[in-house]
Amino acid sequence: MRAVVIVANPNPTSFSHAIAARVRIGLEASGHQVIVHDLYAEGFRAAMSPDEREAYHGNLPAVDPLVIEHIADVQEAHTLVFVYPTWWSSVPAILKGWFERVMVPGVGFVFNDDNKVRPGLTNVQRLVGITTYGSPWRYVKTINDNGRRTIKRALRLSTGWGTRSMWVPLYGMDTLPAGKRDQFLDKVERKMRAL
Amino acid sequence: MFCHPTHESFVGAALQRVLAGLSRADHEVRVTDLYAEGFRPELDDCERGNHLVDHRQHPELRAGLVPYIENLRWCDTLILVYPTWWAGQPAMLKGWFDRVWAAGVAWDLPAGSNHIRPLLRNIHSLVAVTSHGSSKLVNAVEGETGKRTMTRALRIACNVRCRTHWIAFYGVDRASASARTAFLERVENKIAKL
Repeated sequence: MRAVVIVANPNPTSFSHAIAARVRIGLEASGHQVIVHDLYAEGFRAAMSPDEREAYHGNLPAVDPLVIEHIADVQEAHTLVFVYPTWWSSVPAILKGWFERVMVPGVGFVFNDDNKVRPGLTNVQRLVGITTYGSPWRYVKTINDNGRRTIKRALRLSTGWGTRSMWVPLYGMDTLPAGKRDQFLDKVERKMRAL
Repeated sequence: MFCHPTHESFVGAALQRVLAGLSRADHEVRVTDLYAEGFRPELDDCERGNHLVDHRQHPELRAGLVPYIENLRWCDTLILVYPTWWAGQPAMLKGWFDRVWAAGVAWDLPAGSNHIRPLLRNIHSLVAVTSHGSSKLVNAVEGETGKRTMTRALRIACNVRCRTHWIAFYGVDRASASARTAFLERVENKIAKL
């Protein structure tokens, strides 16, 4: 089974990266072949370019070699994992750009004979979101969690009927008592082992 | 705030009608075109490291963003004109939130609290003008994240009495020419009445 892990944090020593390392350990223990894509380290561009916009509804919507590589990995994946910090209630721009540039027609969704949108990622069986919030739970629930909605709803619609999704959140990250972060890392690894 | 790779688009046409509406109502207008200006949407490692540093105390840290920050503090109405992609704002516009709506600009964090305090009390009106490829129903199922990002997350940083206006065109990919024209008409009239 193949698992693709997408990490979106500019700081290579960030807590997101610590999470991604534990995700890898857990997934490998549960028999996955793991590919980690660190968007910042790979120099992934967030903004869809005018050329890509032009090509979007054509036969070859992906033009950037890095995007083509991501598409190939995602199309083989059984499990997709996203690791990111929540900013302005949603995913960082670089991850939003990943959806726009990688989940293009023919990948994230396909058009059927009636020109209706149908899921394109039917190979993906498990969808996992792991994120940290500066705000506490109550605040996140009041303001809304648009990152969670993007992954558990918008992206979920692009996968198969039986795909299960999992959300692993850490709230109030900035004011957390000592030791809670390590507990969270253990929890992440445990969940990935059980996947 | 205009966010589309090209002006030769439906959203580009909507921008023209926004400007027409604003001039009918005698507003002073500043337009930012994120793509044309080559705005970098990725918040970088250095900005992340300083994300809790108040801009008012250390303006040198965000020197490159000063024109965007000035505009944000100057306006009483903020209008976002963009296409909805994956149910939300394009990455380019999301990156503008991530980088420009910073500590000491849009919010500050009183010591010991994890609840931000609004600083953009000059903004009394938040407006989105946007097109969706899919229907309103599909957008509802997808969670309407673009709408919620504006009416909730951004709204928190603005004046406590700030009004939000959602001017959206759904199903643009299949819409007839007359429906498109009618929408553009509606954009101009709504903006003129703000």
